[in-house]
Amino acid sequence: MLAKTMLKQSLPLLILCGLGGIIAGNTLGLMRDLFVSIPGLIVVIPGIIALRGNISTAFGSRIGSAYHLGIIHEEDFWNDALLQNVIGSILLSIFVSAVIGILAYFTTFFLFHLTPDPLELISIVLIAGITSGLILTALTIGIIYIVFKRGYDPDNITGPALATVGDIITMLCIFGSALLVEAFL
Amino acid sequence: MIYSWKKIVRYGIPLLTFCVCIEIAVGQLLQYGETVLIRQLPIFLISIPVINGIGGNVGSILGAHLASGLHIGSITLDVHDKEMHHLVITALFMGVLTYVLIAIIIYWTGMFNGLQMNIALLPFVFVITATGCLLICLLSLISVITAFISFRKGIDPDDVVSPVVTTFGDTLGIIFLFVFVGAVIL
Repeated sequence: MLAKTMLKQSLPLLILCGLGGIIAGNTLGLMRDLFVSIPGLIVVIPGIIALRGNISTAFGSRIGSAYHLGIIHEEDFWNDALLQNVIGSILLSIFVSAVIGILAYFTTFFLFHLTPDPLELISIVLIAGITSGLILTALTIGIIYIVFKRGYDPDNITGPALATVGDIITMLCIFGSALLVEAFL
Repeated sequence: MIYSWKKIVRYGIPLLTFCVCIEIAVGQLLQYGETVLIRQLPIFLISIPVINGIGGNVGSILGAHLASGLHIGSITLDVHDKEMHHLVITALFMGVLTYVLIAIIIYWTGMFNGLQMNIALLPFVFVITATGCLLICLLSLISVITAFISFRKGIDPDDVVSPVVTTFGDTLGIIFLFVFVGAVIL
């Protein structure tokens, strides 16, 4: 019975993801003062969380397919296929982070007639996007390496693992970069 | 070589830019509700990643099972398909259970962190569960429709359902939350 196995295998994972979400949410709660002092900051939050989820899970599932196709395996791990994927993911992170910053600036300006400091907003998003991109890419490679060593199927592990850890790391990165930029700009 | 960074970037940019535009709209909704979320009821600010996360996960899990069922042939393209009904009901049940449980934990962590609550436990759990219920119902519907349509058009549902469901989930989650928060405050 498909529905029964779905309940058994997915419910614990769902609750675990929920608990991870609470950590991400509490980080958001800690940033309340920053949202007040930096207009437009709250606007970039959904975008940057979604960006990370989309880029990292796509990276993870491509490596999963590469494993099934025999392009990457335990003995031949650090090869060109992996390198191309890493470069692609990081370039996407940089490009899309910049887009998020620019869109957030203009929409905030036109909708609320608030004038966020464009340099401040865009540098916060860029720093957060790039650092979380680097950390999560390294983490994905680490997870996949362990999964290969144990002989599991990466498709079953990388998605849920990245979804849970990704939000928390992204939130911490944006919190950190907002503090950093506010202190230095 | 099947992978090149140029291809990854070229195929990634259109989809990601599209998702980002919608997510910016979600962000503007948050900015719109800023006074309530930041000053009056910060407990709901903390709940946002949870509401969206659980909704997206339930929708994606359902979508992945529907996709596999359609591929194997155990699910047919029929609104009355029994297997599909079982999956949807299980997804709804799992979602509601998780929302109630996690809402209680959020409330406790908020009290523990000395957050100004301004709302009692029961109305809080009600708002989160009602938002979650409505969200999962709609996301399940979207998941089924997307899976069926993409399968019929010969596109692999595995590629489509998850991004569609999570992007819709983020938008609808915030809107429903505002609706129910408004109803409870007033």
